[in-house]
Amino acid sequence: MRKKMRLLTSLLALLGSFVLVASACGSSDDSSDDGGALTMAIVAPSASDDLAFSQSMVDSVNALDREITLSITDGTFIVEEAAAAIRGYAEDGIDVVIAHGTQFGASLAEIAPDFPDTTFVWGTATDTQGLGNVFAYSPASDEGGYVNGVVAAAVSESGKIGVVGPVEAGDAVPYINGFTTAAEAGGAQVSVTYTGSFGDVALAAEAAQAHLANDADVLTGTAQMVVGAVGVAADAGVPWFGTQSNQTSLAPDLVIASQVYHWEVVLEEMLDLRDSGTKGGKAFEINLANGGLVIEFNDGYDLSDDVRASADAAIAGIIDGSVNTGA
Amino acid sequence: MGDFFTTSVLVATAASAVRLATPYLLAALGETIGQRSGVLNLGVDGVMMLSAFFAYWTVLETGNMWLGVLVALLVGLMMGVLYGVITVFFEATQGISGIGIFIFGLGFSDLLFRQQVGTPKPIRRLPNIDIPLLSDIPYIGEPLFQRNLMTYAAFALVPVTMIVLNKTTFGLNIRSVGENPQAADSLGVSVERTRFSAIMIGNAFAGLAGAALVLQLGIFQPHLTQGMGFIAVALVYFGAWKPLGVMGGALLFGLVNAVVLQWKALGIIPVSISDLAGMAPAVVTIIALVLLARRVNAPAALTKPFVRS
Amino acid sequence: MTDTNNNLLEMRGVTKRFPGVVANNNIDLDVRYGEVHTLLGENGAGKSTLVKILFGLYQADEGEILLRGNPIDIDSPSAAIDSRVGMIHQHFMLVPTLTVCENVALGVPSDRRPFTDLENVATRISDISNEHGLAVDPWVKVEHLSVGERQRVEIIKALYRDAELLVLDEPTAVLTPKEVEDLFVILRRMADSGKGLIFISHKLREVMSLSDRITVLRDGEVVGETTPSETNRQELAQMMVGRDVRLTPDLPESKLGAKRLELSDLTVIGDNETVAVNKVSFDIHAGEILGIAGVSGNGQRELAEAIAGLREIEPGSSIELDNSDVTLCSTHERREKGLGFIPEERIPDGAIPDFTVSENLVLVNHGDENFTKRGLFSFDSIRSHNVELVSDFDVKTPSIETPTSSLSGGNIQKVILARELSAKPTFLLACQPTRGVDIGAAEYIHNRLIEQRDIGTATLLISEDLDEVIGLSDRIAVMYEGEIISIVSGEDAERNKIGLLMAGVTD
Repeated sequence: MRKKMRLLTSLLALLGSFVLVASACGSSDDSSDDGGALTMAIVAPSASDDLAFSQSMVDSVNALDREITLSITDGTFIVEEAAAAIRGYAEDGIDVVIAHGTQFGASLAEIAPDFPDTTFVWGTATDTQGLGNVFAYSPASDEGGYVNGVVAAAVSESGKIGVVGPVEAGDAVPYINGFTTAAEAGGAQVSVTYTGSFGDVALAAEAAQAHLANDADVLTGTAQMVVGAVGVAADAGVPWFGTQSNQTSLAPDLVIASQVYHWEVVLEEMLDLRDSGTKGGKAFEINLANGGLVIEFNDGYDLSDDVRASADAAIAGIIDGSVNTGA
Repeated sequence: MGDFFTTSVLVATAASAVRLATPYLLAALGETIGQRSGVLNLGVDGVMMLSAFFAYWTVLETGNMWLGVLVALLVGLMMGVLYGVITVFFEATQGISGIGIFIFGLGFSDLLFRQQVGTPKPIRRLPNIDIPLLSDIPYIGEPLFQRNLMTYAAFALVPVTMIVLNKTTFGLNIRSVGENPQAADSLGVSVERTRFSAIMIGNAFAGLAGAALVLQLGIFQPHLTQGMGFIAVALVYFGAWKPLGVMGGALLFGLVNAVVLQWKALGIIPVSISDLAGMAPAVVTIIALVLLARRVNAPAALTKPFVRS
Repeated sequence: MTDTNNNLLEMRGVTKRFPGVVANNNIDLDVRYGEVHTLLGENGAGKSTLVKILFGLYQADEGEILLRGNPIDIDSPSAAIDSRVGMIHQHFMLVPTLTVCENVALGVPSDRRPFTDLENVATRISDISNEHGLAVDPWVKVEHLSVGERQRVEIIKALYRDAELLVLDEPTAVLTPKEVEDLFVILRRMADSGKGLIFISHKLREVMSLSDRITVLRDGEVVGETTPSETNRQELAQMMVGRDVRLTPDLPESKLGAKRLELSDLTVIGDNETVAVNKVSFDIHAGEILGIAGVSGNGQRELAEAIAGLREIEPGSSIELDNSDVTLCSTHERREKGLGFIPEERIPDGAIPDFTVSENLVLVNHGDENFTKRGLFSFDSIRSHNVELVSDFDVKTPSIETPTSSLSGGNIQKVILARELSAKPTFLLACQPTRGVDIGAAEYIHNRLIEQRDIGTATLLISEDLDEVIGLSDRIAVMYEGEIISIVSGEDAERNKIGLLMAGVTD
C-alpha cells in the first residue's frame, strides 16, 4: 500500500510538472528547417499571445520580410528557466536568439561570450553591456504615452484620468510619464496606481474601480495584467488607451487608441548588420520617427476631428523634436 | 486623506473589498470543511485555476454564464475525486499531494488556454443584482446588496456551512474524523466516506471560487489566480477553522487591498512607496493573526492519513 | 458441559495469524448472561486480538462466533454495534473537542435527519446515568472531563447503543484506586442486570475482586479457566507467565548511608503554565528507595524532569546531589555527579528506536576515553563492553546490532537499565520502570533495583503501580496535585490508606 501510494504521488507530481513544462515552456517550431532560412528564437516571460509585451515581439518577428524559422519559448517567468532556454537555443546553433525581457540581462552576460557566432537580441535595454554579439532594443514608450495623454485630456469631461501600472520599472515608467505630462498639459488631473504585480488581473481590475470611484472618466494602463482593468472600463463605459499591443479587441467600443510596438523596424536593421558581419554591439530604439512605434486608432470609436488633429500634431511634433514628452 | 472620507469613495472601497473577498471566501470555506475532516488541501489554487479556465471557456463558447458556473463546479468535483482517491484511499502525504494538484491545475489550465483560446478575449461579466429595499440602505446598501450572485452565494454559504458543521449528523461526522478518526471508526462512522465527501465539497467550493473570480473579471489569462488559493488556506488558519472567522479574514484581506488601491488612486500613498504598500495586505493579516493569537487548536488529525490499527 | 441457553457469547476455535506469529490459536471462550468474565494475560498473549475479532476490527482466520446461540459474522465495528456488542477501548475513543452528547450521538442515526437531535440524546443520557449510576453532564465538552468521567462517557456510549455484551479493555489502567472501586460497583450492577461483561486486565488484585470467571491466555492460547474462589494471585501469575514468579520481592534490611539527594522547596511550572510541583522537599540517603505513589498527572513527570535537569525550576528551589548544589547544572553535569535516569517514556526518551542495541547502550557515555580515542569510536571496546552488558542484564536480542525498535518492551527497558546501571550511579531516578513490561521482566527489573539499593545507591522510584511502590520502597511519599501530602515508611504502608491519600483524602 505504502509503496503504491508513493508511486501514485510521484506519478501525479510528474504528470503535473510535465503539463507545466509542456505548456509554460511550450516550444513551437512553426516551419520545418529548410537549410537556407535564418533561424531565430524568442524567449519571452509571458504568453506569446498576451496582447501585450510578449505578443508584440512575436508579431514583429512574423512581420519581418525574410524567410525565417522561428522557435518560441514563452511563459518563462522564472529567470533561470529562461536562461536555460537561451543557452539551449545557442547550443542548437540558432542564428539569432531574442531574450525578450530586461530581467534576462545578467544571464545573457554569462551566456553570450560562450557563443561568439550567435547574435543575441536583448530588451528592453538601452545598452549591450559591452558585449560584441548582443544587440539591445528599447521603446521610446513615452512618445506614445504622450500622444495618448493628449487625446485622453481632450476626451475627459471630469478632468480626472486614472492610470494602472504594474511595478515601477521597465517601459511602464516612460509610458506613464509621457502620458502624464501630456494629460496634465491638457488640463487633466492624472492619478497613477502601480499595483505591484505584472500578473494580478483581479488587483488591476480593482485599481481601475478605485479610479472610477474617484471620478476618473478615462483610463489607461500598461503590462499584461491590465486586461482586468480594460474589462472594468468596458463595463463602466469609460474610454481606454492601450500600449504595447493593439488592445481594441478587449473593448471594441471604448479603446480609443493603442501604442503598438513594431520591433521589426530595428530587427531588420540588426539582421542587416549581421549579414554584413557585425554580430552585435549596438543599441536600438523604436520610436515614432523610425516607425517602430505606431499609434493605432480604433475606427470603432467616434473621435472628433479636432482631437484627432491634435493627436496628429503631437506625433509630428515629437518626430520633429518640437514637442518634449517630459520623460 | 480628506478625499478618502467621502461617502462615495468609502462606499466604493467597501464594494471593492467585498468583490475582492468573494473568491477567497468561497475557497477558504471549502478548505475549512476539508480541514475540519482532517484533510489539508494545498491544491486549492490549482483547482481554482482549472475551474476558472473551464468556466471562462464555457462562457466564451456558449455565452451562458450559469453553464460556466456549473462546469466549474463539476471540474471542482472531479479534482475532489482525484485528491480524495490519492489522500484517503492511498493515504498519501497530504502536503506534497496538494502541491501536485496545484502544479497540475496550473499547467493544465495554461496548456488548455493556449491550445483552445490563445489570445485573451473578454466575456460577459457577472451583473450586479440589487436586492429590493436592502440595496437602498445608505452606506451598506451598495457594498453589500448591489453585488453579483456569486458574491451573494459566497456569503450565504457561510451560515450554511456553519449549520452543516454544527447542526447535522454529517457535520458531526466531519468534526469527529478530523479530531479522532479512531473514535469515529469505532462507532461505525466511515472515516473514508466522510473525508471523501468533505474533500468533494471543499473542491466544489474551490471550483465556485474559480468561477467567481473569472466571471467577476470577464477575462482569463494564464496564472490568473496568482496564489489566491494559498491565501485561502492561510485564511482558514486565520479564521480558526470557523466559517465566521474565515469570512472575517477574507473581508479583512479584501478590505486592506481595497483601501491600499484607493489610497494609491487618491495619491495618499505616493508612487515612490507604492510597491512597499503592496505588501500591506500580507503584513496586516500577519499582524492581525499575531494580535488575535487565540489558543485555538487545529483539528487534531489534520494531515494525518487514517490507518486502522 | 455448559448450558448453551445461558451463553450470551461463544467463541469456538478462533485462530488469527499475523505474518510470523499466531496471535490466537484455537481459542474457546464463552460468556454467560449476567457474568463478568475476565481475560487475563501478559502483553502479547492475544487478549486484545481476540476482542478485536469480536468487535469486527479483525477477521478470524478460523473458528466461529455464536451470539445468543446463533452463528454471526462480525465484519466491522458497526456490525458489532448492531449485534449489541459494545467495547470500551483501552485508549478512550472520544473526541475531546465535542460535548458528551455529541460523542454519544456519533454514528447513531438521528430522528431528525439530516440534523442532529442532541436534546433527545441528552434526555436518554440522563436516563442511562440515573439507571446505572453514571453521573455526567451531557452538555460539557469531553476535554473538560476527568479521566474517571471520560470512562463513564465510554460506558454510556455502549449502553446508549443498547449493548448487551460489553468488552472492557484494561479499563482501570488510568484510574485512581477510588475510581477503580467506583467503576467496579457500576460494572457489577450492570452484570447483575443481566448483561455479559468481558474484562481484560493483567492486574491480579482487580481480577480477583471483580471476576465471576477467569480465562488465562498465554502466547495466543488458553492455558486455563478458573474462578476467584478456586485460585489466588500467586497461582494466576504462574499461569500467566508459565513458571514460578515472586510477586512481591523480599526487601532486606536497609543500611542507610550518606544523604545523596536533597530537594528544598522545589517548585516547577508545567506545560499548561500552572504550578505542577509545589514546594516539594525531601531527601534520599544511600541504600534507600523512596517511592512516589500517585495518580498519573499529579506532578510526578515534572518532578522527575526537574531532577534530571530537563525542566526549568522556579527561583527559591534547590536540588542537591551529594551535598553539592546542582540547581544550575545541565543534565550532563548531573550525570557526572552520579545521576542515573530511567525516563518514563522508554521510547523515545530512554532509547532511540532506530538505533541498534549497541548504539543505545553507549548513548550517554560514548565520549568516554574507553570508547572514543582521538575523536573516533573504538568499535572493539564498545563491542566487548556491550556484549558483556547484554548478557549481564539478560537482554533477549538476536545481536547487539539489532535495531532497538524490534525488541519487546521489557527488553528495551533492560537495555536502558543496563546503560544506566553500568555508569554506577550514586543516585538513580527510576520512572515507571516496569510499565507495560511483562511479569518476568518486571521481576528481573525489581531485583536489579533492590540489588542496586543494597550496594548503596539512593533511588527515587516513581510509579503508578501501587503494588510496585509498596513492594520496593523503604519510604513512600504520596503526591497529590503537585504536593507531597504524606511520607510513610514502607513497613507501615497500608494499601487502602495510601489509595485514599492518592485521591487527596488526608484524614
